[in-house]
Amino acid sequence: MRRVLKPTPTLTLPRWAGEGIGFAVLGAYALLYASPYGLRVLTVAGVYALAAIGFQIVFGLGGALSLAHGAFFGVGAYATGILGSQLGWTFAATFPLSILVPFLLALLVGLPVLRLESHYFALATLGIAQVVLLLAVNCPGLTGGANGLPGVPGIVLFGWAVPRGLPLAAVVWGFVALGGALAWSLARGRWGRALTLVRDDPLAAGALGLDVGRLRLGAFALSAVYAGAAGALSVHTQRVVSPEVLEFPVMVSILAIAVVGGRGRVAGAVLGAVLLVHLPEWFRFLERSYLIVYGVALLATIVLLPEGLTGLLDRLFPPRRRALPAAVAPSAAASVEGAVLRVEGLRKAFGGVRAVDGVALTLEAGSITGLIGPNGSGKTTVINLISGLERPDAGRVVVAGQDLAGKRPDRIARAGIARTFQAVSLPEGATVLEAVAAARLERDRSVAEAEAHALWALERLGAADLAQRPCADLPAALRRRVELARALARQPAVLLLDEPAAGLTDAEKADLAGHLRAIAAAGTALLVVEHDMGFLLPLAGHVLCLDQGRTLYDGPPAGVRGDAAVVAAYLGEDAP
Amino acid sequence: MRRILPLLFCVPLLCAASGAARAESVSVPVLVPLTGFLSLEGTSQRNGALLALKNPPAGITADAPVIDTGTSPEAAVTALERAAGGPVTAVVASMLGTQMLAMLPLAAEYKLPLVTVSGTASITEQSNPWVFRFFPGDAVTKEAHARYVVEELGKKRPALIYQTTAYGQSGKAHLETAFKRLGAELVFEEGVDPAAKDLLPVLTKALAAKPDVLVLHLHSAPTALFVRQAAASGIPVPIVAGSAMHQPSTAALLEPAELKGVCAETAASPISGGSPEVEAFTAAYRAAFNAEPDAFALGQYDGTRMVLDAVKAGARSAEDVRKALSTGTHQGLAMTYTSDGKGNMAHSAVIVCYDGASRVPAIVKRYDNITGVVK
Repeated sequence: MRRVLKPTPTLTLPRWAGEGIGFAVLGAYALLYASPYGLRVLTVAGVYALAAIGFQIVFGLGGALSLAHGAFFGVGAYATGILGSQLGWTFAATFPLSILVPFLLALLVGLPVLRLESHYFALATLGIAQVVLLLAVNCPGLTGGANGLPGVPGIVLFGWAVPRGLPLAAVVWGFVALGGALAWSLARGRWGRALTLVRDDPLAAGALGLDVGRLRLGAFALSAVYAGAAGALSVHTQRVVSPEVLEFPVMVSILAIAVVGGRGRVAGAVLGAVLLVHLPEWFRFLERSYLIVYGVALLATIVLLPEGLTGLLDRLFPPRRRALPAAVAPSAAASVEGAVLRVEGLRKAFGGVRAVDGVALTLEAGSITGLIGPNGSGKTTVINLISGLERPDAGRVVVAGQDLAGKRPDRIARAGIARTFQAVSLPEGATVLEAVAAARLERDRSVAEAEAHALWALERLGAADLAQRPCADLPAALRRRVELARALARQPAVLLLDEPAAGLTDAEKADLAGHLRAIAAAGTALLVVEHDMGFLLPLAGHVLCLDQGRTLYDGPPAGVRGDAAVVAAYLGEDAP
Repeated sequence: MRRILPLLFCVPLLCAASGAARAESVSVPVLVPLTGFLSLEGTSQRNGALLALKNPPAGITADAPVIDTGTSPEAAVTALERAAGGPVTAVVASMLGTQMLAMLPLAAEYKLPLVTVSGTASITEQSNPWVFRFFPGDAVTKEAHARYVVEELGKKRPALIYQTTAYGQSGKAHLETAFKRLGAELVFEEGVDPAAKDLLPVLTKALAAKPDVLVLHLHSAPTALFVRQAAASGIPVPIVAGSAMHQPSTAALLEPAELKGVCAETAASPISGGSPEVEAFTAAYRAAFNAEPDAFALGQYDGTRMVLDAVKAGARSAEDVRKALSTGTHQGLAMTYTSDGKGNMAHSAVIVCYDGASRVPAIVKRYDNITGVVK
């Protein structure tokens, strides 16, 4: 039974209202009040807004602190500067190339650096920025060296030389609107949702069929497109390109804009840029002291508004809660009978420790298999090896006739294997419906379709009333339920559950057991890692017990308690 | 006389106040880097301009809004756009070359004369009639630099250490040309990042090339660091540094003994005296800003005075001022200024040397009317 929560009686606005009102205010200011100086500052703000929108994609949505974003900005600027001032090319030719060059550079450097973990990635991208800066300074024949290149022509659109002031501001903000609309649309679509999950939990993203590497590379390259476009426009506004466009203050400005405005939000990029570009101008009368006031204002904003300006606006004017979609069952997966997963000779060692040593198992469609053993016996490693989070040293993982051992997690997930994790990890900023819908992003054609299917999965587990609740608010038992729904939404042939009953009350365990039986009855093969024998043995049709990576017992659950080796290694003599 | 001369800087102010009703009012915004790596030099530039603008010729009142340009071209253009919002006679513009290059197109569009002490050669190579440089460019100072090394010191194997900035690259190019023409072979040259915290490695490498003189073209802090490390190492060859060395703020970073025998090129050295007028300027500067003036302050003072003199002579618009600067001659405190047709107003340089007993250098050689090919 699905219950739709009633919205609280507060002033709510459509999601696009804030952006619309903001643009209208900016437009009115530009048209009615702004002096040439005001328009100039507004134009610079537009340039930084465009750069920050791109940064929101890689940093805000993708969670990758790319310190090369300033370098891509500079590369776009230099492409325009060199082609415009040295070769006399016009905007129609320089602008696309100023986007293309940083895009290609991002693809080139992204492949190796995106494999690095967070802080190493940040350092590597900082290194890229330094190399590009050194090249700009030390190749004076091409770049003009430290002096840079003057004489960059202005923007010419369809034969119209765009003059300074309102027309230039309008063109720059036109690109901001265009880029903002595209980024907004991407962020709300399947790609943006997938990227957010990659940011929040890359392991889960991979296990849900999302190609983490490809998504990250796409975000990195797309952000470079925005940075390049902003760099090109920046050069057109000041008619000279010099190494300052590649220096760290540009990167810091973009980062500060994204954080102050609101991480991951297009509106945040625009608000942050408008505020942070204007702030120093407002305090300029203080001469040298303005930096202190500017710094204090910036610090206060970050401390008092950790979610940025858009977070504050959301608190003041909560966006209208979206109505739940109607639950729709996804088209039924092809019915499979017999063995759906065959594992043979699986081995994995970590240094001198053999975590898994020759494990073999077969899961039949509709069966429930228990996997038990003492801590450190290799149970979770077996699940990790099957699901692709670890690469086996040897062995086969055969699904539908294909050996998937050592393949990427997303490839294995797409082959029909889903899993849950011992420590439940749900994206804190997402609602339950959004978290479960993430499992369908790789399969469905739209977010709406994914959410309809997600609601079906929640309904199957009796959790539809949680759909609009934030994941962060859920107690442990409900988090496990939501995670199970997420895995179920994949319609897997094989479901790997890592201690699904941990922390549950007896009533909750009974409820969970009922759901697992129903899932198995629908044809899915379950492999359940569990320590609670009272929960597992009545549930499972077959049990494997591991000890020190080796199979100690492989047989019916009834034989577990009577097996001397299992008792000695795991259950103990006093086991009930 | 020396006590009376500083008062001359104040008399015009009194006259201006008494005749305010018929005073000619001018606005000369001062757009200079007060923050960032060039803040010391930018502050000197501001002070020089303000000293002139607060003591204008009789019958003139001057408004001088100061706007910090930081060190980015973007901020400089924004500052110029802001300043251009009102009636402007001329603009005191940043000494940072990349900022000047960015401001030039806008100045031409607004038809505003930019009066600067930027040493970057290319700012007067843009065919822009609105830029006037009251500081000798590298074509002048590096010619004097190289000639002093070769002709006065008799050195033929210089080692060149320069900065990897626009300033450094421009100076390096001019020094290479000048040394080659003078028949001296550069036995070593290396660029140094302004952020380098230890210059001993480059000093060691330079000495390994067995030079007979070390020629520096570095910013202020790196110059002081290099000279200190060279003094500590007891190097056997003399140092002839770039203009940063002459700045009192650079010398203040060193002990007098560390400066012994070090020479430097510069446009002027007001604290070294040389004439009663220069000494009066120095005294007035110290009184107004509680700091020591350098060549940038004096150059900007001279440039701003030329603008004010043009107004005094009847210039009523920015275009009038541009014409006066383009065609006139101004007897400044540091030198005589006249345009070479491109806006290069300064054609003299001096060499100063420290005796090891004080931080005030002596002028040991003056080079006037130097013409050179600007790169």
